[in-house]
Amino acid sequence: MIQSVTKQYNSLNIADTYKVILINGDVLFVPHNEANRHYQEILEWVAQGNTITDPGA
Amino acid sequence: MAISTIPSAGITGGGFNFRNLIINGDMNIAQRGTSVAGLTNGSSQYLIDRFKWYEGGAPTYQFTMSQDTDVPTGQGFVKSLKLDCTTAQTSLGAADQNIIWQRMEAQFLQHLKYGTANAESLTLSFWVKSNKTGTYVVELYQNAPNRGLSKSYTINSANTWEKKTITYDGDPSGTINNTANAGLDVYFFLSAGSNYQSGTLATSWQTYSAGDECVGQVNLADSTDNNFWITGIQLEVGTTASDFEHLPYDVNLIRCMRYYFNHYTPDDNGLYGLFTAHTSSAGRMPYRFIVPMRDAPTVSSSTAGGFTWLGNNVSGNPSAIGSESLNKYSCTVNITGSFTQGYSYWLAGSTSTELRFDAEL
Repeated sequence: MIQSVTKQYNSLNIADTYKVILINGDVLFVPHNEANRHYQEILEWVAQGNTITDPGA
Repeated sequence: MAISTIPSAGITGGGFNFRNLIINGDMNIAQRGTSVAGLTNGSSQYLIDRFKWYEGGAPTYQFTMSQDTDVPTGQGFVKSLKLDCTTAQTSLGAADQNIIWQRMEAQFLQHLKYGTANAESLTLSFWVKSNKTGTYVVELYQNAPNRGLSKSYTINSANTWEKKTITYDGDPSGTINNTANAGLDVYFFLSAGSNYQSGTLATSWQTYSAGDECVGQVNLADSTDNNFWITGIQLEVGTTASDFEHLPYDVNLIRCMRYYFNHYTPDDNGLYGLFTAHTSSAGRMPYRFIVPMRDAPTVSSSTAGGFTWLGNNVSGNPSAIGSESLNKYSCTVNITGSFTQGYSYWLAGSTSTELRFDAEL
């Protein structure tokens, strides 16, 4: 169960990863890739009305 | 010496032809650990590599899943997957389910020729043991076209290893795309509520219908006395079951690493890799996977403070471990600490540190 999602920018200032914090406290770094099952869960989480935090590059 | 005749048994005896479509069917590889307790509503997860425990609905039962050494005698197996019911649920909710399953990668299944008149039959064989005798269901399921085929088997004798063999027809109307995504699932049902038992068991391929999915399935969750073991799972082309294909441990491990890789160190100060201080607080470590993964993985780690960074005559513990620039071959591991910009350091761990890469389907 996802608690929060934050967009993460790499060293080239490209947003290619999401930092996901789960309700149990686990932290995942999830690629922007539709073949990744955790990214699919992010999309479902957003579809439920949740918002990804974007701290900017 | 030239080979003039191929024996009727084929050329596979004593060798390997990777005929088993199931990976880690002998339950030998368990990179995530060997036991997890309290499996219940909301805790679907992997333990033994490639096999996921899944619950549906809102069950109140609880199970402990473990890698066990109880195996059928004289078959060459050393490990099995065990489920132990620790909290019973005698009356299932209509939507409650309990499954052990493996999702097979589509591009490895093109020789099944699904969607053509030449679609191949498949034969599933496995060893199973439980005190809970009766009818169980195993379903083949194609995710994209949403089609299923279920067959039942019977555990006849309590607490006795039995070998089961089930043959499934090919699916001329099926679809398995040539991708690295989901191709075919195998569901071993352990319990199922009335939503999944209200129709007639789908013993021919059909568009998925919940009521036809697992008619007759017993409820493994109805007593804390219940245990269930399974090993030697093999799914192969054809209508007969061959002996289980025992792959060498290292081959099995590498196949599993395509989907999940846990980098741990077998002793203290084991090296994870070298990194450069991108800034005074941010280290960047290029990290190449041992084998190419199925696709860009999710990265997680044990507590960052358990790792150690060393170099330039100083050392410390990271305050965070992260990752970026993920693809199926490599990624960058980010280490947060107190560095001298431009200097190089190494990242070390202990027996309790883990860097995990998850590309499961």
